[in-house]
Amino acid sequence: MSKNTLVDIKNLSVHFPVHGGVFSKRVATVKAVDGINFSIDRKQIVGMVGESGCGKTTVGRAMINILRHVAPDVEIGGSIEYHFGDEVVDFAALSSREIRKYRSRVQMIFQDPYASLNPRMTVAQIISEPLQLHTNMTKQEQTERVGWLLDKVGLQPEQARRYPHEFSGGQRQRVGIARALATNPDLIICDEPVSALDVSIQAQVINLMMDLQDEFDVSYLFIAHDLSVVEHISDKIAVMYLGDMAEYGNAQEVYHQPRHPYSKALLSAVPLPDPSRKNRKRIVLQGDVPTPLNKPSGCAFRTRCPIAQPACAESKPEFKEQAKDHFVACPIVE
Amino acid sequence: MPENQEISLSILKKRWLKFKTLKRGYYSFILLIILYTLSWFLPLLINNRALVLSYEGEMYFPVLSGYHTGAEFGQDVPGEAVYRQLQATWTEADNGNWIIMPVYPYSPYEDITAVGNKMYDPPSNTHWLGTDNTGRDVFARLCYAFNISISFALVLTILNYIIGVIIGGSMGYFGGKFDLFFQRIIEIWSSLPMLFVIIIISSIIRPSFFLLIFIYTIVNWIGMTYLMRAEFYREKSKDYVAAALSMGQTNFKVMFKHILPNSLVPVITYFPFAVVGGISALVGLDYLGFGMPPPTPSWGQMLDVGLQNISKWWMVFAPVSAQFVTLIMVVFIGEAVREAFDPKVYSRLR
Ligand SMILES: Nc1ncnc2c1ncn2[C@@H]1O[C@H](COP(=O)(O)OP(=O)(O)OP(=O)(O)O)[C@@H](O)[C@H]1O
Ligand code: SF4
Ligand SMILES: [Mg+2]
Repeated sequence: MSKNTLVDIKNLSVHFPVHGGVFSKRVATVKAVDGINFSIDRKQIVGMVGESGCGKTTVGRAMINILRHVAPDVEIGGSIEYHFGDEVVDFAALSSREIRKYRSRVQMIFQDPYASLNPRMTVAQIISEPLQLHTNMTKQEQTERVGWLLDKVGLQPEQARRYPHEFSGGQRQRVGIARALATNPDLIICDEPVSALDVSIQAQVINLMMDLQDEFDVSYLFIAHDLSVVEHISDKIAVMYLGDMAEYGNAQEVYHQPRHPYSKALLSAVPLPDPSRKNRKRIVLQGDVPTPLNKPSGCAFRTRCPIAQPACAESKPEFKEQAKDHFVACPIVE
Repeated sequence: MPENQEISLSILKKRWLKFKTLKRGYYSFILLIILYTLSWFLPLLINNRALVLSYEGEMYFPVLSGYHTGAEFGQDVPGEAVYRQLQATWTEADNGNWIIMPVYPYSPYEDITAVGNKMYDPPSNTHWLGTDNTGRDVFARLCYAFNISISFALVLTILNYIIGVIIGGSMGYFGGKFDLFFQRIIEIWSSLPMLFVIIIISSIIRPSFFLLIFIYTIVNWIGMTYLMRAEFYREKSKDYVAAALSMGQTNFKVMFKHILPNSLVPVITYFPFAVVGGISALVGLDYLGFGMPPPTPSWGQMLDVGLQNISKWWMVFAPVSAQFVTLIMVVFIGEAVREAFDPKVYSRLR
């Protein structure tokens, strides 16, 4: 752990109990996240990829501690240690009341720009809400800051008095970005921020986010489906599979020399414009993703792994630093 | 002001503008508001006590000051002064005394014992809708009952809404054990035969306006509670709530500043129909004799005596048409509100 570390996640697990029957007894557990380790440095962009349902959103929401309000009985294990200056704050251990004053430091940009802005509030009200909560700005200062932020995200300050339904999807997402930046956070969790947008404006929004990252010196956890985008913008890439982290390392390394069989398969599916890799073989995975309700024993990937061995069923593979800063959860490829 | 600073309309404002274009509902709304506002001033409009009178150089305001004996004004009657008679004699005598009566100088309570009143008087210039079996003026009673009916329905509905929002909202928002606990309570509650409970209670305790409200609320809170529970449950999983929580907003603020304004559609569209329910509920109880204590003017009680004297057509006609007109106006409002809020569903139904 370097002294530049912003957040250090150790052994994070998120389990949702499933209740059933007359007495609402616990009948099963969804292991949405099952003991993952990684860290994000200051001003770093970490891309997180994986199939649908592998727990990416759950990791992001655990990191800002907002899982409990939709699932009051969720079980969160491990630690999420933020290093704010000299303070070390574990979001997994504190109550939501204790976390409240640190909330300005970690913000989120949501996938669906239609659901993430309150339709009854004007853009000015939406963006000034975090300012009211975390600063002692006067009304006048807030208005100025809102105008300034709108300008930063490429909207006109005059549009502050409008309601979200008067904006396009891309413009709404810009409002969401402005809201996330309002309090100068250290980390923004971006949960597929462009996947709900038209392809034609995805690039614009991503470029904007990159410019702002530079200007605001903020770190991103960038969750996405599209590996080529993630490779392009990230410093590090984390590959998730069924609640586990398969691989974590420098973007170039993970992208060009993936080690874990799952990462290899995932990357072989990316259409590449790069001619040097044209002759790469496409690995087609067999079978469906098992459910996190009933994970395979040992390595969760073994039911689909092309190089699986009997030993893989026995114990969960260690998430090991196989090369410098390159962690892989597969002893077979070491 | 910059040119492009157009006026932005919130969704609610848009809906209000749409509501205004639906003439039938809008005019019913305006008319009902005017009538209901006027009905609070009924003692100044429909009353047997004088508004102002001047007797031997001194001014009196019987409407405000209340009881004056006839002797005070040199009238030879037992008990309270009869102002209508005073007006007649003073105008004739022209002795400097004068009196101003309300527009319609009869009270809903003055019966056969008052001078000049007759039982079963058919409609005429003096008694617009005749008198009833005890000589009370039907028109006066009708108007006072209007105020009581609407007030009852409004207070009942608003109270139910407050309880519904607080309990139902918390059930939907917090979920878990709290939700389960109240769900069981509601299940038990809704299996009680409530009409009998009401009849039993009001045959033991003498009912009053607020007791009836209380009893009906105990029965009715479940409907709105379930509605709000569903609304809050649906809204709380939306990302704008997650966003508010992630910036450190308190649960209270999230519930009332963020979720509630987004849950108002069913609340508002259901409101007129809840009012219809409230009005009808009171009529029903009054008709059965378990409602407001006599001699409170009430449509249900008027209907009851009317049906007992069915040959006196005005005694049935008056309460039936008053109810009919009121209810249909409220339904028109409800219909227009619904269309203003959800034009698509509405036009599909039509
Ligand atoms: N509140 C919850 N209760 C029960 N299970 C849940 C809950 N939230 C998420 N899950 C489960 O956790 C698993 C991970 O979900 P998550 O939304 O994190 O996946 P994801 O990687 O973000 O997928 P996508 O790419 O589709 O967004 C899924 O199997 C999901 O069904
Ligand atoms: S541990 Fe075994 S099953 Fe899992 S990825 Fe490695 S080889 Fe495949
Ligand atoms: Mg997701």
